[in-house]
Amino acid sequence: MMASSRPCFTALRGVCQRRTTQWQQPLEQQLQALRITASSRSTSRRCFTTNQPTSESLSIEAAAEVNLDALKQFGSNSRARPVPASPSYFSRIPIFNDSYLALEKLIRTYGNLPTIPTSQVERVAWKTLRDYRQTIGEQVKAGDYGRCVGLVKRLHQIHPKLKPGPVKEALEAFKRDIQPFTNVATPVAVDKFGRAIGVGRRKSSTARAWVVEGNGEVQINGKSLADFFGRVHDRESAVWALHATNRLDKYNVWALADGGGTTGQAEALTLAIAKGLMAHEPALKPALRRAGCVTRDPRRVERKKHGRVKARKMPAWVKR
Amino acid sequence: MSVPTTLRCLVRPSVSRHVPRQVAAVVWAAPFSTSSSLAANPPKKKAGTQVASIRSGKKMQLGKFKKKAPGGRTGKAPLPGERKSVRKRIQLSNSNALPVQGLAELTPEYMADKRNAGTVVSLPGTVQDQLRVVEAFKPTQYWGMFRNPSMLVRAETVDLMSRMQQSAEKKQTLKLVVSGDRITGKSMLLLQGMAHGLLNDWIVINIPEAQELTTASTEYAPIPGTNPVQYMQNNYALKLVQAVRKANEKLLTRLTTAYSHPELPQNIPINSTLMQLANSAKEADGAWFVFHALWQELMAKGQGRPPILFTLDGLQHIMKVSDYRSAAFNPIHSHDLALVRLFTDCLAGSYQFPAGGAVLAATSRGNAPRTPSMELALSQREAEQTGAEPPKHDPFSRDYDTRVEASLKNVQVMKVSGVSKLEARAVMEYWAASGLLRKTVDEATVTEKWTVGGHGVLGEMERASLLTMRP
Repeated sequence: MMASSRPCFTALRGVCQRRTTQWQQPLEQQLQALRITASSRSTSRRCFTTNQPTSESLSIEAAAEVNLDALKQFGSNSRARPVPASPSYFSRIPIFNDSYLALEKLIRTYGNLPTIPTSQVERVAWKTLRDYRQTIGEQVKAGDYGRCVGLVKRLHQIHPKLKPGPVKEALEAFKRDIQPFTNVATPVAVDKFGRAIGVGRRKSSTARAWVVEGNGEVQINGKSLADFFGRVHDRESAVWALHATNRLDKYNVWALADGGGTTGQAEALTLAIAKGLMAHEPALKPALRRAGCVTRDPRRVERKKHGRVKARKMPAWVKR
Repeated sequence: MSVPTTLRCLVRPSVSRHVPRQVAAVVWAAPFSTSSSLAANPPKKKAGTQVASIRSGKKMQLGKFKKKAPGGRTGKAPLPGERKSVRKRIQLSNSNALPVQGLAELTPEYMADKRNAGTVVSLPGTVQDQLRVVEAFKPTQYWGMFRNPSMLVRAETVDLMSRMQQSAEKKQTLKLVVSGDRITGKSMLLLQGMAHGLLNDWIVINIPEAQELTTASTEYAPIPGTNPVQYMQNNYALKLVQAVRKANEKLLTRLTTAYSHPELPQNIPINSTLMQLANSAKEADGAWFVFHALWQELMAKGQGRPPILFTLDGLQHIMKVSDYRSAAFNPIHSHDLALVRLFTDCLAGSYQFPAGGAVLAATSRGNAPRTPSMELALSQREAEQTGAEPPKHDPFSRDYDTRVEASLKNVQVMKVSGVSKLEARAVMEYWAASGLLRKTVDEATVTEKWTVGGHGVLGEMERASLLTMRP
């Protein structure tokens, strides 16, 4: 036990000696110390282990000599001290600070360029705080990031034709990798037979509806509306898009519904018919949106959790 | 040391003082009874002498929810048959509904006239009573929502009535089966046929629910001297004779008997009225023979008999093996029941009505057993009518019944489906005028209900527009 601890002490002593002599070292050696190499870091760490230090771990690699002649050009070499490249070097979040400062500089430089109204600006999904933290690996505060994004948005508002290259580059870093706003739905077309196919989904049901001009006939999976849906409410919700826009007597629908239950199929049909109808009359979109026939309801069955009877229901309380 | 229990016996009497002493009263007992006389009159406990338990009336409540008092319901239980009568009640008028102005009243020729298709017509009071007697109204129909019973004359109605009229003119018998989807108005078409017959002085005989005959819910007995054995249903026959008598009173008093009927218990001499004959069915015993005699009289040739309308609703029920059993406990085929046999023979064309008439049957969708033979026969007849290739038997099925197919060899099939938009508009205007549809009846409303009602299925349209108003 004693025998094994002795080399460890020597190693510790070695570190202490190095630390104590550091302030007495000349400037050249101090500059070298800033350039911490991987090997030197590993040796200092090993000093605290109780293991027998091996011969190669003790080998200390000397840093390259400082070229004093090169330093002389800055004047008196006795007063020179190393300064990190970035002023944010000693802060907790140097990358963020730098980029923030860069943005501020860009605003100062290009802030007077003409802008366009916010409603006309190209929609961009900016990185969320979580994404940004992950990208740069720094714990940025939410408020700071909010202010940063404010600058980003202000720069983004610059007229696209006059937007300078540096601004574009700076904004790239804040854009999300996947831009949902670039996804554009393929427009539904009316084919040569006058049919427009719309697809709708709700819960786990899918419906396809071919909408043609006609006189109010509806056929779903080869059955009439009354045969297919026993519930009057379901029938009404299936043709709700036509009903809400007063077009029930002007179109015929031939539809296929699949999956899920009756309510799901009925409401999937609502969406499908609405999309088919919008192909015929695109101007009806606001009316259909008001009737609730445009947006897909994303709700699905909530998963069951362990320890619960259903998604949320707790088991009955039992005494003991 | 504890006092032994034996010593305690000396301190306290072993019997509680509160137990009343047996009174040695003289109890009169029957001399021949073998049971103890005391058992008959056990000593009664005196009220008040018992010490009430400390916790009487108090109970520890263990559960969160209180248990309901034993017995549950406190209301009076309905009397036997009360529930059924409520279920089967026919209400033909509603004083809260608005009377509809300018509605035509049904006349003998009204429904056979093509120009009247797509109109709503009201039933005259006398016809209402007669239809009620023959049980043409069904409790599932929406009569009770309107001020007066009225009905839509649709294209199928005109078609059926003109066919009936033609067959009466030619002294032929129309044999027709009304089939179609659920709540499309098959029973309604039968009712319209009956109304037409009653107004045109036809004898109307109606079997309102075929299942009453075959589900073993009415008494049956073999008819003596028949081979193979046939079965009569006297209770049902009595009901039927009485319905026929009441509905066709005017005609039956005018017609006279042509045959003597020795099999009847009551002597009905020749030339007495058919009313007398029908009146002889006072009890269930022998009612079948009375009905049979009445039938024979109606079939008598050269006696100036009126046309006859024989209708039945729920055809599937008589196109299968019945729920009855023979004496050897073999299942009885429905066609071995005499009344059912009479109807199927009429449908097959075995009877020639002296002044023509019609045999109408309606299939049922709501309550009907599966009858592959009937379905096949009807689809075959339908295909023959349209000139299409008639469907064939399924070679791998054993469910077919030759007797059923034979009885449906010569029938016409009338398929009932949704009404046209014009007819839908007429009926919706009637609803609106009655105050039951609070909307402007225009093209948009009509199409909406027509679409939601599965392309004009009347029952579905009613469900979609009137159900919220139903009591």
